[in-house]
Amino acid sequence: MKNRLKVLRAERDWSQQDLADRLEVSRQSVNAIETGRYDPSLPLAFKIADVFGTQIEDIFQRD
Amino acid sequence: MTARTHIRGRPGLWVGLFFASAGVIIALRLSGAIEEPVGFILLALSMGLMIPFNKAMKNSACTYSEAMDVYNRRMMVCSIGYVLGLGIAIVLWRNYELADWTVFALTLLPILPTFGMIWAMARYLKEESDEYLRHKSMMASLAALGFVLALGIFWGFLEMFGLVPHIWAWWVLPAWAIGLAGAQLWQKVRGA
Repeated sequence: MKNRLKVLRAERDWSQQDLADRLEVSRQSVNAIETGRYDPSLPLAFKIADVFGTQIEDIFQRD
Repeated sequence: MTARTHIRGRPGLWVGLFFASAGVIIALRLSGAIEEPVGFILLALSMGLMIPFNKAMKNSACTYSEAMDVYNRRMMVCSIGYVLGLGIAIVLWRNYELADWTVFALTLLPILPTFGMIWAMARYLKEESDEYLRHKSMMASLAALGFVLALGIFWGFLEMFGLVPHIWAWWVLPAWAIGLAGAQLWQKVRGA
């Protein structure tokens, strides 16, 4: 699954740790999701969408 | 429970000191310089080094969640209980004529802390709120389980045909722990 986490983060000038703090997860988790090594659960995907104020499908796309 | 990545701390130093002290204690015991009970007590005391290790982990560059902190503290208590329980059980069993029920009670001394370790592992998976860290732990646990099954089957058949000596069944836990450490190392190498 592809995602736009890095782009969305860059637009807000957030570091991975900044995003991790907002999501209440580890920086390691953000890195794993961002690099496509881990697909988040639906609850976490919704939380990510909420943090960026957008829809899940605007962040995650099929390969 | 949230996980943070910190930038200070040297957990490797405390792990190194623990293994060094354990090595010295085992060497002293093997050379006959100390008696068996003293060896067990010293080994239990050396496990106190896990306290500064835990603190160093909190301040290290490693990702360390609150659930991991609780898990490590539980494991430390169980490990100290295990070493002391095993020591007491062995010393009493070797030096006294005991009734079967007493021997059974003695065997519970190392068994119960070991069950505590298994309980601590289960609680960690329950309490870890960071789903990626939980996922990694579960994958490592499954790899460790596969390692134990493979090793058990391999050794069991070699033993059945008289090629290797008998080993006690409680070795499944140390073997599982070795498998877990190997899997976690592999995850680290792979950058997971």
